[in-house]
Amino acid sequence: MSVKVQIPLPLRGLTGGLSEVEARGSSIGEIIGDLEASYPGIGERIFRGEQELSRFVSIFVNGQDIRLLEGQETAVREGDVITILPLAAGGAGDSRGADAVHE
Amino acid sequence: MNEVQPYTDRYSRQVIFPGIGRAGQAKLGKSTVVVIGCGALGTVAAACLARAGIGRLRLVDRDFIEYHNLQRQMLFDEDDVRNQIPKAIAAERHLRSVNSSIEVEGIVADVNYRNIERLTAGADVILDGVDNLEARYLINDVSLKHRVPWVYGAAVSSSGMTMNIIPGRTPCIRCLFPIMPASGHVSTCDTAGVVSSAPFIIAALQSVEAIKILIGVGDVSSRLISIDVWTGDFDRLQIGDSPSPECPACQGKYEFLEARFGARTTSLCGQNAVQVVVAGDMGPSFEELARRLRKIGEVSYNEFMLRFAVDGYEMVLFPDGRAIVKGTNDESLAKGLYAKYVGM
Repeated sequence: MSVKVQIPLPLRGLTGGLSEVEARGSSIGEIIGDLEASYPGIGERIFRGEQELSRFVSIFVNGQDIRLLEGQETAVREGDVITILPLAAGGAGDSRGADAVHE
Repeated sequence: MNEVQPYTDRYSRQVIFPGIGRAGQAKLGKSTVVVIGCGALGTVAAACLARAGIGRLRLVDRDFIEYHNLQRQMLFDEDDVRNQIPKAIAAERHLRSVNSSIEVEGIVADVNYRNIERLTAGADVILDGVDNLEARYLINDVSLKHRVPWVYGAAVSSSGMTMNIIPGRTPCIRCLFPIMPASGHVSTCDTAGVVSSAPFIIAALQSVEAIKILIGVGDVSSRLISIDVWTGDFDRLQIGDSPSPECPACQGKYEFLEARFGARTTSLCGQNAVQVVVAGDMGPSFEELARRLRKIGEVSYNEFMLRFAVDGYEMVLFPDGRAIVKGTNDESLAKGLYAKYVGM
């Protein structure tokens, strides 16, 4: 099935500037895998290592945080809206300005 | 003379703006905003708020000014660097000359779980100008506990984000990111850099949101605004429209305020430095410390800080007992140097 994925600004360099893309899959893990196939490099910006979601990224399915659902196993349905949300940590001071998905 | 004349003279252009008007201006004059962090975000936001006539501004920052701050930290100049003036004090002095009709108070302090409630007491809005997530999660807790709105803001590289957190009405930072990401990603800070326009725009947005909250404008945004000044992109994301029932902070568990998380030492990545915070508010007397340390290294001090150089390291001590140890990212080494030369 096909869902809409909202791409945050820091990742749009990988989607050719697209703010919203279509992806196929029945779970969040499959959706991100499909995104990676279409836009190589996006997966490693969202996940740390094999399967763990980056600490600087939250993913929402229709506004619900997948950490509070089934994580990557969270089921998605036709027409769902997936939002990838990076957390910006810097304050334009000097310390610990970790850019959201650049960890 | 009409008693509102001084207001209309100074603030006439924003009083004409229907969204503010005389009633709104009067509210701003009676309001208190606490700006935590006086870097690029904090200085720009504080300047906007001081010029807009916020009655009381409290500016809190732990750091001192260096030349590489001047690229984007709008309230500071070269004299501040030469005179080793802490950011909070320099910001206070500059803003007093901008608007003498308001109260401006600069406080040199590291915001932590012990002092944040005192530092934010009386605030109508807390404005986030900090450079780390731990402080933001603390601000989030204190905001929810005392029902004080705060305006999140962050910027790095050419992009930034801001969002209003209105206790009981909007999602908070823990609703969106339940687990605080760990700090210490050294390579990122070294390579990402920052284009000044990114924090300027975010701080400008933060200050207008603070003004709207203070005036009581009904349609205060609960969207997360994201910008990239290099690509010219601007996004507004709506992530839920109310606090999450699963969020510990929104359910009254203030785990950062209760010091369940947090550290006594913090690596300041990108600076090759570590901050050491010791228990208790009072540090050693600079005079006494300087006398002792001159025997083993180079020492200089003023009323705001003491610098001590030894063995390739530089230690900057503040009156509250906090220190920044430069020349290492090793937290245990920094703590050891502190213990050795200052004492714990």
